[in-house]
Amino acid sequence: MARRLAKLNGLDLAQISGTGPHGRIVKKDIEAALEKGVGKAATSASASAPASAAPAAAAAPSGMSSDQVLKLFDDDSYELVPHDGMRKTIAKRLTESKQTIPHFYVSVDCELDALLALRSQLNGAAPTDKDGKPAYKLSVNDMTIKALALALRDVPDANVSWTDDNMVKHKHADVGVAVSIPGGLITPIVRQAEMKPLSVISNEMKDLGKRAKERKLKPEEYQGGTTAVSNMGMMDVKDFSAVVNPPHATILAVGAGEQRPVVKDGALAIATVMTVTLSTDHRCVDGALGAELLAAFKGYIQNPMSMLV
Amino acid sequence: MADTAYDVIIIGSGPGGYVTAIRSAQLGLKTAIVEREHLGGICLNWGCIPTKALLRSAEMMDHANHAKHYGLKLEGKMSADVKDVVARSRGVSARLNGGVGFLMKKNKIDVIWGEAKLTKPGEVVVGKSTKPAVEPQHPVPKGVKGEGTYTAKHIIVATGARPRALPGIEPDGKLIWTYFEAMKPDFMPKSLVVMGSGAIGIEFASFYRSMGVDVTVVEVMKNVMPVEDAEISGIARKALEKRGMKILTEAKVAKVEKGANSITAHVETKDGKVQTITADRLISAVGVVGNIENLGLEALGVKTDHGCVMIDGYGKTNVPGLYAIGDVAGPPMLAHKAEHEGVVCIEKIAGLPNVHPMDKGKIPGCTYCNPQVASVGLTEAAAKEAGRDIRVGRFSFGANGKAIALGEDNGLIKTIFDKKTGELLGAHMVGTEVTELIQGFVVAMNLETTEEDLMHTIFPHPTLSEMMKESVLDAYGRALNA
Ligand SMILES: Cc1cc2nc3c(=O)[nH]c(=O)nc-3n(C[C@H](O)[C@H](O)[C@H](O)COP(=O)(O)OP(=O)(O)OC[C@H]3O[C@@H](n4cnc5c(N)ncnc54)[C@H](O)[C@@H]3O)c2cc1C
Repeated sequence: MARRLAKLNGLDLAQISGTGPHGRIVKKDIEAALEKGVGKAATSASASAPASAAPAAAAAPSGMSSDQVLKLFDDDSYELVPHDGMRKTIAKRLTESKQTIPHFYVSVDCELDALLALRSQLNGAAPTDKDGKPAYKLSVNDMTIKALALALRDVPDANVSWTDDNMVKHKHADVGVAVSIPGGLITPIVRQAEMKPLSVISNEMKDLGKRAKERKLKPEEYQGGTTAVSNMGMMDVKDFSAVVNPPHATILAVGAGEQRPVVKDGALAIATVMTVTLSTDHRCVDGALGAELLAAFKGYIQNPMSMLV
Repeated sequence: MADTAYDVIIIGSGPGGYVTAIRSAQLGLKTAIVEREHLGGICLNWGCIPTKALLRSAEMMDHANHAKHYGLKLEGKMSADVKDVVARSRGVSARLNGGVGFLMKKNKIDVIWGEAKLTKPGEVVVGKSTKPAVEPQHPVPKGVKGEGTYTAKHIIVATGARPRALPGIEPDGKLIWTYFEAMKPDFMPKSLVVMGSGAIGIEFASFYRSMGVDVTVVEVMKNVMPVEDAEISGIARKALEKRGMKILTEAKVAKVEKGANSITAHVETKDGKVQTITADRLISAVGVVGNIENLGLEALGVKTDHGCVMIDGYGKTNVPGLYAIGDVAGPPMLAHKAEHEGVVCIEKIAGLPNVHPMDKGKIPGCTYCNPQVASVGLTEAAAKEAGRDIRVGRFSFGANGKAIALGEDNGLIKTIFDKKTGELLGAHMVGTEVTELIQGFVVAMNLETTEEDLMHTIFPHPTLSEMMKESVLDAYGRALNA
């Protein structure tokens, strides 16, 4: 019934929350949605999932029911915290991602010594204002964003989004950056990052990160994007793989830079190395293409001067 | 907690009260139930259950009278022994009455025996019953608590209803019966006038007719069983008349004269004519009214309307901590409505998430006369009145293999759909065993299925239930066996 009503009224069931048994969407929910004007299926050719896929996502198996889960624990051994909107969105989008996107992973080690040296040189040379505050303070993350954006510019076939009908080839690299905030995470986007100087990226990121933590981002600041970076280096993580966040086709998981033994010219040496793992949507970025993108990225990280020209 | 202090006290142990008590106990609330007369309320003792026992005797009788039709020979004449028919019905009631006692014990619910009165918020004083008990009574259950003052955070009134009396035609227990007397006749009258053709009236009319009694039903409305779909009601009426029942509609019992051992009813018809009918007894079945008196509701300022306590969708009255469910909380006065209303109420009290108010539009109704009538949702007339653009499907028992094999080929299953959305708006049935069939459509309506889902559902063959599917198909011009 709800499905029929949604179809008759052109509603996207995925955007409507259900109040029926186990959260099932019932007639009443559709009527409420119609009244409030929620859930009108997107009509423009936005990069989001096509409307026709949404009912299928809503109907996808949702795992164990609440009751089934709770039954496995003693009554007084836990407390229940209701999901907020962000938690629901994270759950929905990532489930959708893992269920509809065939993930493929490529990892590579990058030496950071040159990048770290350049970074302190640049930061040292930053002009200061009258209070003595530097005009920018670059982080490794800022440089990672820039390197990924430039790599996408160089390997444009990897700067894409999948739709059922077409390959969406993006003209700019809009890099989402996963920011962990209390209760979840959000991914503000540095637009056209391949064109922006490091200092601009850095300051923009500072502002976005701050407002993300205050939950003050505007939707247009975190919706869309063509790729993403998830950096857990500051948490001493060696390597991990991330879940592609549609409409992106790629996401780069960045580990910590640490001193490791490396072999150079047939001899052991010490270098600062970080491991990055690229997850790709295999429907549009095949393995070799992913590897090509990573190689380009590694090139910028290990020869950071090339990011400046 | 003092042993007179509870989380929840429920007044009345009918299907509303006792089911609510069990759910309350399941939810971990300390629960007591007060009862002044009989565990199980009207339903188990003087309503649903004992009538069904009587009607089973009637059904056996009807079958026996048609034995020849099935190639069976019955030597001699079949006759009913009133005493034994009643005794069986009382026995069935006693068994279930005992069952409720067992359930109370099993769920550790205190039963407090006596009449409850609300003295102030949160307090119930239980005293001796001021109501003469209906005889014969089942024994008082063992281990009950007695009179005294009890307190509770939440008090639920589930005191049920009693027969409505028309002025001048008040039941006297001798010549003018209510369902109490009609349920335990000590002789078989030769003739009866049944005033009112709702479920209760028509069931007794049907029972007594099967027992060979000359029955006249008088109904003020246009159709018998006035809440039912007019078409279904018409088919039922024809079938009842064929069984020898006399039915007067748009007719009113204006006056009843009492003789030594008979009554004479003056019946006014629409055209203003008055006819007199003399019969052994008259059964007054003109509805029931809520038991709202002597409870102390007025002093607490509880709002009532038409003899029933006013509640919100979760059984709450206008007084905090006081709730009402079941017959006393208003129509439809049905046992399953009382039960569900009680469960919703107690789950809301316990703070369970996702408790939804009962949807009164999805409560099925069943009448166990011969032929049976069952329905859920909107009648065709009500759907049209509501401005719905509808599709109606019909399927007759005469085209169903199982019905023919049973020798029960008179009846109809009617379904009503919203033309645009395919929503099942109502289902209406008359015929053998339809009271067991209707639930299929009730489930369908609750799951909000459309005609499409129903058409994709496989019904076993050969069954009466196949007619349900055929009726749905017919609504879309696709019936297979018609
Ligand atoms: C002849 C007949 C046939 C019926 N057939 C059907 C049927 O087939 N299907 C159906 O669904 N319904 C049927 N009904 C209706 C059904 O019986 C009622 O809807 C149902 O019993 C209502 O339940 P309840 O819990 O609200 O109240 P009741 O069953 O009326 O129970 C109320 C209880 O409260 C007790 N009580 C009242 N006041 C006090 C007080 N102050 N202190 C302590 N205790 C008190 C009473 O003694 C009683 O036991 C029939 C009714 C009748 C009369």
